[in-house]
Amino acid sequence: MGRPAMTARWQEALQRGWMGWRLRALAALALIGCLGLFALLRVLAQSPHLAVQFQASSPTVIELVATGHTELRPHLNQHLVSIGSTQHSSIIADPSLLRRAPRFVVDDLKRLGIQAQQSALAQLALAPEVSLVFEGGHTVRVMPMPRGFGGLGALFWLLSSLALVLYLIAVAVFFSRPGVKNLLYAVMACSQSCNLIMMAIEALPGWGLPIGLADTNLWLRTVCDLVTVAAILQAFVMHPVPLRNWSAMAATGWLVALSYAGLVLIGGVASQWWWTQALLLGYSIAALLALTLSRRHEPHPASLVLRRIGVAATVTLTLLTLSIALADDKAQTQHLIATIGSVIWYVFFASLLLLVPFLSRSQHVMREFAMLAGFSTVATSLDLLFITIFAFGQFTSLTLALFVSLALYAGARQWIMSHLTGKDIVSVERTFECLYRAARAVESSPQHTLDHVGRLLLDLFEPLEVRRIAREARDSIVAANGSMLVVPLPAFAHLRDTLNPAEGAYVLRYARRGRRLFTLDDARLANRVLEQLRSAVAYDRAVEQGRSEERTRLAQDLHDDIGARLLTLMYKAPTPEMEEYLRHTLQDLKTLTRGLASQDHLLTNAVGEWKVDISQRLAASHCELHWAFRVDADVNLNVVQWSGITRILRELVNNVIAHANATRVEVDAVFERGALRICVSDDGHGKSPASWSHGLGLGGVRKRARVLGGQVQWTERQPQGIQCEVRIPRIAEGRR
Amino acid sequence: MTVKVLILEDNPVARGFLCRVVRESFSDTIAITEAGDLESARAQISLTGGATGMHGVDPFKLVLVDLELPDGNGMELLTELSQYPATKIVTTLYSDDEHLFPALQCGADGYLLKEDRFEVLVEELQKIVRGQPPLSPAIARRLLGHFRQGNSSKLLGSDSGFSVPAELAGSSRPVPIERPPEHDRLTPRETEVLTYLSKGFTIKEIASLMGIKWFTVNDHIKSIYKKLNVSSRAEAAVLATKHGLV
Repeated sequence: MGRPAMTARWQEALQRGWMGWRLRALAALALIGCLGLFALLRVLAQSPHLAVQFQASSPTVIELVATGHTELRPHLNQHLVSIGSTQHSSIIADPSLLRRAPRFVVDDLKRLGIQAQQSALAQLALAPEVSLVFEGGHTVRVMPMPRGFGGLGALFWLLSSLALVLYLIAVAVFFSRPGVKNLLYAVMACSQSCNLIMMAIEALPGWGLPIGLADTNLWLRTVCDLVTVAAILQAFVMHPVPLRNWSAMAATGWLVALSYAGLVLIGGVASQWWWTQALLLGYSIAALLALTLSRRHEPHPASLVLRRIGVAATVTLTLLTLSIALADDKAQTQHLIATIGSVIWYVFFASLLLLVPFLSRSQHVMREFAMLAGFSTVATSLDLLFITIFAFGQFTSLTLALFVSLALYAGARQWIMSHLTGKDIVSVERTFECLYRAARAVESSPQHTLDHVGRLLLDLFEPLEVRRIAREARDSIVAANGSMLVVPLPAFAHLRDTLNPAEGAYVLRYARRGRRLFTLDDARLANRVLEQLRSAVAYDRAVEQGRSEERTRLAQDLHDDIGARLLTLMYKAPTPEMEEYLRHTLQDLKTLTRGLASQDHLLTNAVGEWKVDISQRLAASHCELHWAFRVDADVNLNVVQWSGITRILRELVNNVIAHANATRVEVDAVFERGALRICVSDDGHGKSPASWSHGLGLGGVRKRARVLGGQVQWTERQPQGIQCEVRIPRIAEGRR
Repeated sequence: MTVKVLILEDNPVARGFLCRVVRESFSDTIAITEAGDLESARAQISLTGGATGMHGVDPFKLVLVDLELPDGNGMELLTELSQYPATKIVTTLYSDDEHLFPALQCGADGYLLKEDRFEVLVEELQKIVRGQPPLSPAIARRLLGHFRQGNSSKLLGSDSGFSVPAELAGSSRPVPIERPPEHDRLTPRETEVLTYLSKGFTIKEIASLMGIKWFTVNDHIKSIYKKLNVSSRAEAAVLATKHGLV
């Protein structure tokens, strides 16, 4: 799938919104799920059971620890010998009777035995009367009774509600945007939901499960697991970036998984548990490889995040498998690990699945949730590991595991924080710095505002790509599952007329160079930053406008009042020198006021005016002007530069007219690579400029050149005359 | 024959100075009428046959108008005198195009900067009367822009800083609205001349650059002035029609 196609698809999807049939189908499926769960609850609540709880007190015997039947009370803490009824042959009691889940029994024979025992128990619970034989030959007859809704047990409620939530999310994800990827997610989630329901039923208190469950349990759970991993494999070979031959890979995955499930159904395979676990791990590793490959193909941030989650899941699954396998010879502990460990692993996996659709919603929630889930898994696994391998007591191992996990948590939290979803959102200082820089840049060159905003977004999120697209949006949104952020252009007042509405938003792809997903936090940050930028720019412009009005008023007053008075004085001047002096003053005043009132001047325009001014004045004093001007790029002179150079030139030419008695003046101006050099040479009788008294005129020239960052140098020419060279090394396009 | 001159200037010293400039500029006998404000200037003009000058036996041949006057802006008078058969010259302290351009559009034939030296002023005045109006680079730039963008959108340079005189709409003579647009446009030669002027070239330099005589350049400049004037009058007419005044 190419990039444009992807963009088009999500845009289309955004516009499409929820359609009627999808909403209806979603509601119907959600209702079916709830009703199904309720029906299951009803069946379980009404099915008869023996309200007894046994505990293995030694590898061969079990003793009664709690009961709901008054007849059994006197036999608390007594060993059970056998259990039976008038219709059924009796079952010899041993600890394997306590095991309900055949899924995590390593030994084939043992598993078959457990399955048979559980079926028999289920049959037994249907009998009107069951007799339990305790040690010493005491036989007690009890009547199995329905559990009732209250008797389903806390663990059952928890697991079944998690299953329901997972199912609902799966359905919602699928119908929010029907497609292959979301279908795959729904398949995974539904399989795991089924797994959770199975575990919930296994966790029911008392003896006696619905008939047939004991036989189907193993098969159903194996199939669910295999379907999940096959779906994961397909999802990862086609998403986020489809690999070459992805369809072949996915088909192979499904074929192997389904044929293995078929084998399990028709009679099982030797060493079934080993095969199942090996397949699960193999699939996980294959999926991780696919993600790595796709990342090499295109650095989509989703592949990175998904790989991290996948690694966590795979590692914990490996740990669980190892501890169960290692504990195989210790029946007691193995039972414990297989029951508790597997429940925890499945809950962890279900939480990860729950998390995936919300990856780009909120980083914090996701992080904390994932870490909690991860660390509780680690703690439990360690607990079980200590019990198994080092044969510690329950309490010791639990304490140790807790301490080790806490230490791990404290140490690894920071690292995980920064690596689970990439670096944290940019720091406040950095945000402020970027914002400030962007505001200054927009103010100094408003014509490049769009580029500046783009650069700001680039600095903030370091995406692989920033593009402008046509989109009318009010707020930033996260699109394409967090790989894209769409940021609308803020409504800059100065762009209102010139902005092309077809380029109303920026699209950022792949945050942090493709190492992070965009989240809602990022969208909010983008909104806030751009709003700040807009108001900063608006404020700057308002201030600038006020300043400009004030300057114009000042210039007008100076020009009108002082100018008129100077003019009168000039007309009334007693001597020509005085008149000339006043004329220069008046001209300076005019330059000053014009500089105040007007905006920037283009260098080439200013040069034209200088030339006309100088040639007029030289013509009046019968002096020839040779003018040369070269420029490699036109720039804007700000007011200081314009009036500075104007007055330097005027002063130099005045000087020539007044003192040099020249017949020819050469002005040679060059603007190259940002440096301005102006040479004014005459053929007058001026000599040894070093000895000149630097009065008001020449001092003013020096001062102005210095203000502009330049310098002036007078030299004697051969055969006669003076050359004055003004160098201004840097005329940058600057602000007023 | 006596040449009648009207000088409208509120500053008495400047008025005296301008009188000297006018007397120095022409060898004919000069009769100078001085006015300190718009009102007395209007009175003087109506004595010589009114704003159109058609009935007057002896109208003013030369009118110097200052822009800033106690009872209004000199441009108002220029607009009223758009049909008056005199050479109208703006005398001002303002040398920027923002002030001068609207004045030229109102029908001024040229402008003098009051702070220039006596000899310079005399020379410039003679040039204007001979039909060699000045064009500073800034004005030339402004003209280029004016003719390039067409003149329908802007009336008399709305950013000039001056309020557009309301009387403009009432210019008494109806001007045909269906004026062929070529009248408003510059010929390529004229555009070339303006471009050179905007870059600060003198008329002599332009003549040698374009390979034509200097007075041909001058003709182009005069023609540009005329077109500016015409285009502004056409605008005024369009405006008048729109307001139902014609």
